[in-house]
Amino acid sequence: MEVEGGNTSANDAVARKISIQSRRAKVFYQFTQQNLPACKPVLTPSWIVTTFLLMGVIFIPIGLVTLRTSHSVIEIVERYDTECIPEKFRGNKVSYIKDSTILKNCSLYLKVPKHMKAPIYIYYQLDNYYQNHRRYVKSRNDQQLLHGLKSNDTSSCQPEDSSNGLPSVPCGLIAWSLFNDTFKFIRESSELVVNRKNIAWKSDRNHKFGKQVYPFNFQNGTFIGGGSLDPSVPLSDQEDLIVWMRTAALPSFRKMYGRIEEDLDADDVIAVHLMNNYNTYSFGGKKKLVLSTSSWLGGKNDFLGVAYVFVGSSSIIISLVFMLLHVKNPSSFAGRLSFPL
Amino acid sequence: MLQEADIGVGISGVEGMQAVMSSDYAIAQFRFLERLLLVHGHWCYRRISMMICYFFYKNLTFGFTLFWYEAYASFSGRPAYNDWYMSCYNVFFTSLPVIALGVFDQDVSARLCLKYPLLYQEGVQNILFSWPRILGWMSNGVLSAIIIFFFTTNSIFNQAFRKDGHAVDYEVLGVAMYSSVVWAVNCQMALSINYFTWIQHFFIWGSIALWYIFLVVYGSLPPTFSTTAYKVLVEACAPSILYWLTTLLVVVSTLLPYFLYRAFQTRFRPMYHDLIQRQRLEGSETEISSQTEVSSELPAQVEIKMQHLKANLRQRNQ
Repeated sequence: MEVEGGNTSANDAVARKISIQSRRAKVFYQFTQQNLPACKPVLTPSWIVTTFLLMGVIFIPIGLVTLRTSHSVIEIVERYDTECIPEKFRGNKVSYIKDSTILKNCSLYLKVPKHMKAPIYIYYQLDNYYQNHRRYVKSRNDQQLLHGLKSNDTSSCQPEDSSNGLPSVPCGLIAWSLFNDTFKFIRESSELVVNRKNIAWKSDRNHKFGKQVYPFNFQNGTFIGGGSLDPSVPLSDQEDLIVWMRTAALPSFRKMYGRIEEDLDADDVIAVHLMNNYNTYSFGGKKKLVLSTSSWLGGKNDFLGVAYVFVGSSSIIISLVFMLLHVKNPSSFAGRLSFPL
Repeated sequence: MLQEADIGVGISGVEGMQAVMSSDYAIAQFRFLERLLLVHGHWCYRRISMMICYFFYKNLTFGFTLFWYEAYASFSGRPAYNDWYMSCYNVFFTSLPVIALGVFDQDVSARLCLKYPLLYQEGVQNILFSWPRILGWMSNGVLSAIIIFFFTTNSIFNQAFRKDGHAVDYEVLGVAMYSSVVWAVNCQMALSINYFTWIQHFFIWGSIALWYIFLVVYGSLPPTFSTTAYKVLVEACAPSILYWLTTLLVVVSTLLPYFLYRAFQTRFRPMYHDLIQRQRLEGSETEISSQTEVSSELPAQVEIKMQHLKANLRQRNQ
């Protein structure tokens, strides 16, 4: 089709419009005829060997780095719920822990294995404690945590929603079972300063717990489930409660207690004066104190590194085996159609 | 007069539309029947059988992670994931790739389908939807769920998962496990299909991206609505390198068994469409017919019988 000299711009516009339309029509035609430009990869032996080798080459270094990082984290874990009961009460632990007249202090001695750099995180670890039980997790009221007594409907918290006829703030089983062991750390007769601020998530502090909400009628019932709260401190500053209310995933979990902002040297002996208040004896739970440094990967866990190395080395072994079998059987697909003829 | 059939094909023509009205498929000319059968019939069979197997697989993978989690939640019924994640699983994050498989996948191009009509026997003999295949996909799902659950919970156990010392909680484990499930299931789709247009790429990678976008959007809703997902990706998971490394490990480990099976199967016991694909790649016309001794004109049994008869005839003539 010849375009004449005059009116070239209008003709160009028309030609462009037609070409756009014909391009769109062409794409639409390709779509309806199932003939779109496509990439059709085929799994050839070279691709297979390359993929497995690549996986091995990438995974093994990652695994080794991760393993090394995990080994560089220094962790002290000390179980204290059995040692901290005096000898004469070992026969009936539950009645000991429930007796509020006995003072439950206890001393532990921790030896620092290697130099630990600040900040050192202090956690309490509970085992066999199902904080992920459905009924337990349901027993809270987010509206009440934000707005306090103004929220009326606290039915999800029953039976821990009120005591002695008055509503409790915060209501629910999670708050009621607040962990209340306390720890004090002494090194060479001077107390280590434990930073108990900023242990909860920032979003929890700012958006889930009200700044104008104060504990009211809390832990006042016949059954004491855990710690009590200072009624003059608003909920958004009650960091222990905020940390506790962020429920754990598995029956063995750690929650942050505080931070030590100074270094600990190797072979230091840290004396821990703790108050063994919390009752885990009724259900066979375990309490442990954990002091840990942290790396760019977090805490101490060798599993990731080991798994990476395992998967990487398996890939390399598989690729070698495959290459061997491939070379030994040159064209083994000859006459081997896999459906019966 | 035809009384019973699996599929009715009517040809609209000079004699009227009566056949068309009572048929499942209508074509305009008789010669289109070849294409309908060999191309679309084969594609349709493969697409539907693969889609059903894949559907079982992806829901088993998802459901069994929930089941294993219950063992760690004293079987109280607490789901491992936030409610909205579970509602959106089959709708947003894993539905589009299935459409990409069920509507668009082509293992062998149309031209080659017509050239090798024997490929149609895959459907007649029900090779792609046999019980071993179905059970194989289902056990792949269960195995994937086991790998995902145990690798995730052991990597992200109870220790701190970030440099700032925050310990793992329910939200983080849920997001880590769910991300691994979404990645694994979508990458499994990428491994299973043989035909990648922009549509497939958009659906598969788009579904994965949609999961992260959903997390960000849902996490920014007020905590009374988003409960355990509030800011979980933005604040907790994304800055954690352990989370990303765990996702990578779990996804690759989950896909490894299937990839291994595919590798050995296509190399040592290839199916007819594998042979055709490889032949197309290598471009040699005669290789496939001479090596497999199967003519593309007649069924193999007929060919073998004919060869026997020819040999007998030759012997008798000598």
